[in-house]
Amino acid sequence: MQATEIVKLIDTTRCTACRGCQVACKQWNEMPGKRTRNFGSYQNPPDLQWNTWTLIRFQEHVDSKGNFKWLFRKDGCMHCTDAACVKVCPSGALFYTEFGTVGLKEDLCIGCKNCVAACPFEVPRYDGAKDRITKCDLCHTRLQAGRQPACVLSCPTGALTIGRKDMMLKAAEKRVKELGGDANVYGDKFVGGTHVLYVLSEKPEVYDALPKSPSVPLSILVWKDFLKPVSLLAAGGILVGSFLHYLIHGPKLPDDAGDAGKKEGGE
Amino acid sequence: MIQATDAFERIVHWVMAISCIILFLTGLGMMFHSLNFIGTMMGGLKSLKFVHNWTALVFGFSLIFAISMWWREAGVIEMPEDLEWIKCAGGYLWHVEHPPESGKYNPGQKMFFIAVALCGPLMVVTGLLMMFQILPTALTRWMYTLHAVGFVTLFAFFFVHVYLGTVGNPGSFQAMTTGWVTRGWARKQHPKWLKEMEHHGTLVVYGEEKKPAAGGHG
Repeated sequence: MQATEIVKLIDTTRCTACRGCQVACKQWNEMPGKRTRNFGSYQNPPDLQWNTWTLIRFQEHVDSKGNFKWLFRKDGCMHCTDAACVKVCPSGALFYTEFGTVGLKEDLCIGCKNCVAACPFEVPRYDGAKDRITKCDLCHTRLQAGRQPACVLSCPTGALTIGRKDMMLKAAEKRVKELGGDANVYGDKFVGGTHVLYVLSEKPEVYDALPKSPSVPLSILVWKDFLKPVSLLAAGGILVGSFLHYLIHGPKLPDDAGDAGKKEGGE
Repeated sequence: MIQATDAFERIVHWVMAISCIILFLTGLGMMFHSLNFIGTMMGGLKSLKFVHNWTALVFGFSLIFAISMWWREAGVIEMPEDLEWIKCAGGYLWHVEHPPESGKYNPGQKMFFIAVALCGPLMVVTGLLMMFQILPTALTRWMYTLHAVGFVTLFAFFFVHVYLGTVGNPGSFQAMTTGWVTRGWARKQHPKWLKEMEHHGTLVVYGEEKKPAAGGHG
């Protein structure tokens, strides 16, 4: 089934950090709450975890003019078009859905943690008890049923919207123009374009835990696009080479005077 | 017949060889989606992951014995004579009238040993750091790359080793099965080693003294 590519737009300037999305995500995906810790912020839990697929990050920011700002950013899977996690997944548990998002067939996950290391946004989290990873799948089954993801449905301010990719991009650019200043669209310029876009009020580098220009890491490209084919080519070359060696040069036969002629080599 | 290896060497060799082959197969099953069926045979890729990780433990132990046992004989390139051998590839690739006489291990075998002695521990260490991701993520990512570098090296060397240890050098394979090789083989393959043993009186001979012409396995 080929559906149109969809994009979730997160307009951080409209977010009031009510965390309705965080709760709705947990409810829909039946993720348990866990004991947390206070680290002097409303941000709770402190980071994404296997049972928390989306998280509002609270950041206190003083801009160059000395104005204090409270920045809220909904963190979670960005649903890359060129996803490092899908590239490294050995079992096909991580896959591209018909919407262009990155889905997770959790029964296929073997808990190898390749994706945990590979993701430039550090999104996939490992659940040790079940020996598998978890992450946002943008409510794949809800999308299939023609419904909005739980987070979008819960958002009271219109900070979260979802729709066709081209329309959401246009909406994001329009909003950035309205805001002016440092406002920018984040997500369309790298990893083939993400299926989660931000409208940010500040430059990307201002935000905590947000890479400025994420990419599929070089180490992963060397591994998957170079060494992987080279391993087969090298071994194949050796096999063919050995066969040709046998035919052309021939094996190195023992001294066929054999054991009988031991006197010439021995004492 | 001449004794080339003792039983302990052969056991270590085969533990290492079998664990290495299992690691290759299970690793390939994870590396290529088209080879995922290797995991299916083990009851799924998750089982394959466990087979891979636990076999690595066996491999790691065999590596400790192999390195400590063989590095003196096979891990040291001796400069003037080994270089001569390398220059003419030991007579393996083109015709050489009198290739330099090799000792117990020729420089090609030494290079194979050194590759295993370097890549083996690399595989164990990077593998552990992939399992237990205690390094910063930026470094952990390179562990996968290094693991793949080690694999490319070992996988290629593996086939060289299998070819040269069997049909490429008839008479060699027995060194790793019964441990006994013929005198003719030793004279051709490792003349310096044979002479040294004869000189030091450390040669362990079986059978041939009584029936020199028989040439059988007794």
